[in-house]
Amino acid sequence: MSDELFGAMGISASGMRVQSTRVRVVSENLANSATAATTPEETPYTRQIVTFKNQLDKQVGYDTVRVKEIDYDTKKPYPLKYMPDHPGANEEGYVRMPNVDTLIETMDMREAQRSYEANLGMLDQSRNMALQTIDLLRR
Amino acid sequence: MTTQNIGLFKALGAKMDYLDQRQRVIAQNIANADTPSYLPKDLLPVDFGKVLKSVTSEPTVRPETTSALHMPSPNHIDDPKNRGQKKVYEEAPYGNSVILEEQMVRSSRNQADYNLMTNLYTKNVNMIRMALGRQG
Repeated sequence: MSDELFGAMGISASGMRVQSTRVRVVSENLANSATAATTPEETPYTRQIVTFKNQLDKQVGYDTVRVKEIDYDTKKPYPLKYMPDHPGANEEGYVRMPNVDTLIETMDMREAQRSYEANLGMLDQSRNMALQTIDLLRR
Repeated sequence: MTTQNIGLFKALGAKMDYLDQRQRVIAQNIANADTPSYLPKDLLPVDFGKVLKSVTSEPTVRPETTSALHMPSPNHIDDPKNRGQKKVYEEAPYGNSVILEEQMVRSSRNQADYNLMTNLYTKNVNMIRMALGRQG
């Protein structure tokens, strides 16, 4: 019986783990949202994206969520900012800035938070169900 | 004799097993709420009235079906299997169609059912106790 319930708890825990990785990557992006290039040739900080996958965990025998990869966002162009005094400025005085949009990152963080909460709620419910069953012994 | 051999307890156990399994499937759907191209799954509904009838009648000899061509026993209980859900409300651009709210509603329903089962179990145990002359 409890194999399934503990399995449910394991799956919820894996969901929480990937969401916390997502929050970590988002905070890395946010922290580096002003990390401009120090020389005109260098590329500034590149935004990172997390992707998930559903993979069979052979040890426990059911599918859990894993981080597939943490990839760099190379599609979005680096915005240019006019700062002639900056060491990273080119001949026209423009500096390449990171392609991080703080608004998008904040929304992504909110989404991760909601998913984390949903997983936590699920974990709590599964645990309560297991406890109810154990409580049957006391009657 | 253990309580497990009493028909009603058997049916309660079967339903609890089903709810356990369903809880795991829902947990999986919620954990994959952001996985690209993941389709939510659910268990097939099982008619527990039928289950109860077949476990309480207690046939002594039951033919074993060893081949897929055999006719199932009239007391056969169908096995719920994980199946992709057919209808979904919406699908995200990256192919994921898990709706968190929908899954949460299902899981609370699941928990309420489980609660009902454990309460019924307790009630029945108390009834047996009372019949034994110990006030439960």
